[in-house]
Parts: sequence; C-alpha cells; structure tokens
Amino acid sequence: MSNRPNTRRSSAARVAAAQKSGGGSKTTWWIAGGVGIVIVIALVAAIAITSKNDSSSGTGAGAAGTIVPTPAISVGEVTVTGAPVAQAADGSADPALGRPVPQVSGQQFDGTKLTIPAAGTPKVVMFVAHWCPHCQKEVPELSKHWAQVGLPSGVDLYAVATSTSESKPNFPPGKWLRDENWPVKTIADDTKGSAANAYGVTGFPYFVAVDAQGNVVLRMSGEITLDQFQQLVDAAKSGGTGAATGTTAVGASATPK
Amino acid sequence: MTPATAALFFAILSLAALAGTIALLVLLGLTRGMDAEAPATGLEQVRSDLSRAALAVAWIVATVTSLGSLYFSEVAHYIPCALCWYQRICMYPLALLLGIATFRRDRSIRIYVIAQAGVGAVIAAYHAFVQAFPPESGTSFCTTEAPCTVRYVWELGFVSLPFMALTGFLFIITLMVVAGRPTSELADPVPTDELAASPRPLVPGASR
Repeated sequence: MSNRPNTRRSSAARVAAAQKSGGGSKTTWWIAGGVGIVIVIALVAAIAITSKNDSSSGTGAGAAGTIVPTPAISVGEVTVTGAPVAQAADGSADPALGRPVPQVSGQQFDGTKLTIPAAGTPKVVMFVAHWCPHCQKEVPELSKHWAQVGLPSGVDLYAVATSTSESKPNFPPGKWLRDENWPVKTIADDTKGSAANAYGVTGFPYFVAVDAQGNVVLRMSGEITLDQFQQLVDAAKSGGTGAATGTTAVGASATPK
Repeated sequence: MTPATAALFFAILSLAALAGTIALLVLLGLTRGMDAEAPATGLEQVRSDLSRAALAVAWIVATVTSLGSLYFSEVAHYIPCALCWYQRICMYPLALLLGIATFRRDRSIRIYVIAQAGVGAVIAAYHAFVQAFPPESGTSFCTTEAPCTVRYVWELGFVSLPFMALTGFLFIITLMVVAGRPTSELADPVPTDELAASPRPLVPGASR
C-alpha cells in the first residue's frame, strides 16, 4: 500500500508511448545532427580564417588569439605624478637605488586607463619598444615562460610600450604584443616617452624592480635571462638587490647578455 | 589546431549558442500556453520536436564547452583563475549528467540543470564584465599567478572565455525550459519500485 500519487503507468501504456515517440526520436537525431553540422562549419571557418591570417601577416600562432587588449591606439596619454627617477650612467652605481618612483597613469592599447602606482605591492615594470630586436626576443621568451609556469607570485607586473614610431619596424606595438600572447598589463607611452623618462629608461628592454614602499631596488637594461628576471622579482619582494650583481644591472655595466 | 584557431572556433560556436538562445526564447514566446500533447500549429510542432531534442542538444553543448575549457588549460596552457574554476565546477558535471539524462530520456533533470547552470551563468556574466571592463584595482578574485582580468581570448572585439561560458550556460538553461514539463509518456523515468516488482520489458517488440 502506498500513498504515492498514481504516476505509474501500465506497461502497455509505456509500450504505446515508446511507439509514439518513434517520430520524436528521429527528429531528435535530425536536430542533434544539425548541431553537429554547426560545429563542423565553425571549425572549418576558424581554420580557414586563421590560416588566411597566418599567411597574410606571417605572425603564426597567436595571431587571432588575444591576450592583451585589442589594439586601438599605439600611443596614449600619460600622466606622471612625482619626481622622475634619475638615469644611470655607465661605470657608476645606479643613482636611482633607494629612490622613490613616481606614479604613472596612462592608457592600455584599447584606450582603457591603467595606473602604475608608486607604492603598494612590489612590482616589476618593463619597458619595451616594438622596433627593438632585443625586445622582440625577450617578449616571446617571457610570454612562453609565463604560459608554462604562470606569472610570478607576490609581485605585480607592468609594462610600458614606449618609443613608438609608425615609421619603424614591427609597428604597431599593440598587435605585436597581442600576437606574442603578452600577458602583462601594458601602458602605451605617449610620443614624448613620459612614462619611460619617469623611470630613467636609457635602453630597451629595461626593467625596474620596485619594493612595497615604492623605492627602486634594482634596474636592468638589455636582453636578460629568466634567472635575471627572477632576480628582479626577488629584489622587489625582499626590498633589496639580493644577488643582483648580474652584468645587466644598470650602473655597473649596461652590457646586454 | 593552434590556440588561435581554437579561440576563433569556440568564439563562433559561442555566437551560435547565443543565436540559438535568442531563437528559442522567441519560439517560447510565440508558443506560450500550447498543449504539449497536441501541437496545433507548425511552430508548436517545432517546439514539440525541439523539446524532445533539448536534452541531447544541451548535452552536446555542455560536452563541447567542457572540452574547450580543457583544451585552453591543458593544451594552450592558459591558466584558469578562481572565477574560471567556479564556472568549470558548474559546467563539467552537466556534461556527464545530461548525457545520462539524454539516454534515459529523463527530463526531470531540467530543474537541477537550470539551478546549476544558473549559478554558472551569474559567475560567467560577472567574469565577462570584469574582462570587458577591467577595474584598475583588479578584483578580489584576482591573483598575480592567475589574473582573472587577462584576456587570453578576445575575439571579434568582445568574445572572451567567460563570455563563451556565459552563452553556453544560457543556451543550456533555455534548452531546459524548452524541454518543458515532463508531460510526455516517456518523460519521467520508470519508478524503481515498479522495476523491482515487474521484470516485464518496456521495449516494444521484446519478448514476454
């Protein structure tokens, strides 16, 4: 005996229903087949479009996949709040060590605003130029490394695309960085290079490690290794130069690797 | 397949899912109040047919979405952020459960699917918004190891990975609505007590 509502049907009714559903079952397969056709069409279209992009632009994988904002601008408006950091001179100690960095506000390639704060979370700020061969080697190397192991923890990463010129190779920088799957938030520097000047940049690529208090703890210039980049990260987190005696630390030597 | 091709492929599918969602909503509006057992017009017949196929289509959508998610993390090595993981938690089980429901023709699963996909859709909508309009200060879900504002995919100027997830969730929810209440004869599964009491076959043509 049961109090359940009488939802059970006789087996005869079930058989009848199964026969009745025969047409529906066929329709189901037609509709599922239609979904399959949509998937195949999407796949063919994606392959056709990306292979066309690859052959026309020569950028290879990553041409359509995007990681930095879609390029809308190549140079932006930059506001620097605070005193700029001094440039380094070869053969002498880096005069910027221990000195505070200014706050830099600008625009990403899609025009959205981005601020590199003076103090707060330790950070590494990178300056790249689209036409610079060393940058063209460094950027994909770092992108590939980060894609495999993830971005470094405990520090914020920022980049500035500076010294941008339409008449120089590999323009525009936004497309270049997007094609390289560059995962770092990037400011498009203005035509005067205000952001680069604020950090005392003298060459490309250029790396500045800043501690939580907003003071420069290490700067490097030229193409660097992954280990040297880790030195920048460690220095920013620890607030000291640590083992940063590499040949690319600015001041003592500016020789790229 | 390169990540670029995969990104465009799934972006096209995402837009197809969005178009499908809109089309189904229009169909639902036009056939509101229809008798599920006796479709009277052509549109009602279409809805009736779609209601039978809804489980299977939703299963395909959940499976393709889950496979795409796995491709981007395991093959393309894009790092899933916390929000991505929450969406995965909502989507992955659907690929399995909708598959089982499809073969059992168990439309009673729809309320569970709607609830789970609803949660996923809300998270995906927030994540898609964050990627479309990234706040300068980031979000509480963001970490530097797996930043949730990074647009690993940004196709056609607006299609991001969470946007794809959002369209997938919405399409599945709409399909579950189209599946309708379990009014057809085979809609609800055989009660287990009846199965235990009666070994009689339910398949037409099977021997008694």
